[in-house]
Amino acid sequence: MARILIVEDEILIAMLLEDIVTDLGHDPVGPMMRLQTALDAAEREAIDFAILDINLAGQQSFPVADRLMRRGIPFIFASGYGQAGLAEAYSTIPVLQKPYDAAQIARAIPADSTGHSR
Amino acid sequence: MTPLNHPGADPFYFLGHDGSVARLVKDFPWGTTCLSRVETWPQSLKTATALLIHSPVPMVMLWGEQGVMIYNDAYSVFAGHRHPALLGSNVREGWPEVAEFNDNVMKVGLAGQTLAYQDQELTLHRKGYLEQVWMNLDYSPVLDESGRPAGVIAVVIETTERVLAERRNRQEFQRLQSLFAQAPTFMAMVSGPDHRFTMVNPEYNKLIGNRDVIGMPVREALPEVTEQGFFDLLDHVFTTGEAITRTSLRVLLRWRDQGPLEERFVDFVFQPIRDQDGTVAHIFVQGSDVTERVRAENHQRLLINELNHRVKNSLAAVQSIVTQTLRHATDTSQASQAITARIMALSAAHNVLTQENWDSADLRTLAQTAIHPFQAPDRQTFDLDGPDMRVGPYAAISIALALHELGTNAVKYGALSVPGGTVLLRWNVSGKSVFNLEWIETGGPLVTKGDHRGFGSRLILQVLPDQLQGKAELDFRPTGIVFKLTAAVDAISDHAA
Repeated sequence: MARILIVEDEILIAMLLEDIVTDLGHDPVGPMMRLQTALDAAEREAIDFAILDINLAGQQSFPVADRLMRRGIPFIFASGYGQAGLAEAYSTIPVLQKPYDAAQIARAIPADSTGHSR
Repeated sequence: MTPLNHPGADPFYFLGHDGSVARLVKDFPWGTTCLSRVETWPQSLKTATALLIHSPVPMVMLWGEQGVMIYNDAYSVFAGHRHPALLGSNVREGWPEVAEFNDNVMKVGLAGQTLAYQDQELTLHRKGYLEQVWMNLDYSPVLDESGRPAGVIAVVIETTERVLAERRNRQEFQRLQSLFAQAPTFMAMVSGPDHRFTMVNPEYNKLIGNRDVIGMPVREALPEVTEQGFFDLLDHVFTTGEAITRTSLRVLLRWRDQGPLEERFVDFVFQPIRDQDGTVAHIFVQGSDVTERVRAENHQRLLINELNHRVKNSLAAVQSIVTQTLRHATDTSQASQAITARIMALSAAHNVLTQENWDSADLRTLAQTAIHPFQAPDRQTFDLDGPDMRVGPYAAISIALALHELGTNAVKYGALSVPGGTVLLRWNVSGKSVFNLEWIETGGPLVTKGDHRGFGSRLILQVLPDQLQGKAELDFRPTGIVFKLTAAVDAISDHAA
């Protein structure tokens, strides 16, 4: 079981992702629906993996990505835009296009990430 | 043929020349003029006559007060049909059409002064008709033995052909300039290895912010452009002679001194212009400012991306509704109805936002749209009470979905499940930054706590307050349920927390 940070500003999608993560047997952190709460969580919470919506109520979640990278926590982006709209610095980070299913999320979570935060 | 340079035999020995005019001079009855017979001529007159007769340059001497004309072969060509009658005539009578001009020449010359004219325009009658001619004229006095001016000698170079050619060139240039001036595209000509501006049209002027660049090298005239590699492109065209074409190229221009850089997009061609020996001498710059087109294209791309984003998000939202409704469903027909109602609620909220360009929504309009399906047809079941205020698009969708869940519950189990039950929906902002929303049911049956893990409960009690950075509570009062939400005003407006 991994602790997975969910950053998603759309209420329905946040609920869906929370369910998916839970169903996969992981422990969701969040959903964080605004940039500031996401930043705080990325800084303080014990996390093994994160799923970041790129656009957060008109702001981009890249500062959250930067904190995760600094902490060495793997993550993916989820976005309606797909690969487009991604800054150069994050070109190596996988992007999951919405809508996605549980299998895609499962594949994105690295097998060895489980439990590192404990 | 008379032997030359033999003083005894020929009074015209001093001419030392036997060209056609020389022969005419010899044959001319000088005794009938004020010069009198050649034997009486002073040495100064002889010397000057010999000098001009020998010259390949058109020359004429005007001797004495009358200006008796003696000229050479080259001048005879210039004189046209006036020759040979012109020889020995008085200049004012010989050229009656320019008598006044020559009168001045005689006065000035005999006063010991010189005169010089460049491209002097005169109207002469020398080919059977009047024609306009241009000449370079240089007059200087000829002194006699006593040192007094006795005549005037003139070098006459006709420049008519050159003047007309220049005039044609100028007209051609002006014609091109007026073409350039009216052209809808920008045009400029730069010349030489340092690309000096020799011509710019009004459209080009507009592009560069009406700077005065004529005569200046590009590097000085448009320093900010030089930094952007355009100078290298010009160098390339100048050295290789290959034209260069670019489309939708971005250029930053400083329209005002110390002003900001203006972003423009241009289509253009740098066309080398070769001189007679084939080397590149100029570069013709021609193109269009396509900034508006490029911006429209970018805007369109942005809109398509945005639309795609919305569509994908909507699909994900529908996926969420379907998945979560089915998760808690006990029978498929109810689930189907619930899915449809939730999708309709989401769609209605989208409609409100679309009318406002997805910028924000009026809370009252949003609330009225959300409760509309639960309104009884025959009586007022809802009372809305709150100030005019706007909510951000993300908060708007969440609030609309929450009101839908509350309404569905009220119709099924709450105040709206019985006749006479009503809902009061009220909101306000307390202090400066706290938003309060209350859903108060009255007149309904006694409601007890239901399944807290259902989609509706989870949405209104957990995710909604999380998103809006507030608190939500559901109170099961004997008079009906009361839902209270408090949130940060900034979160309601979707402003960054």
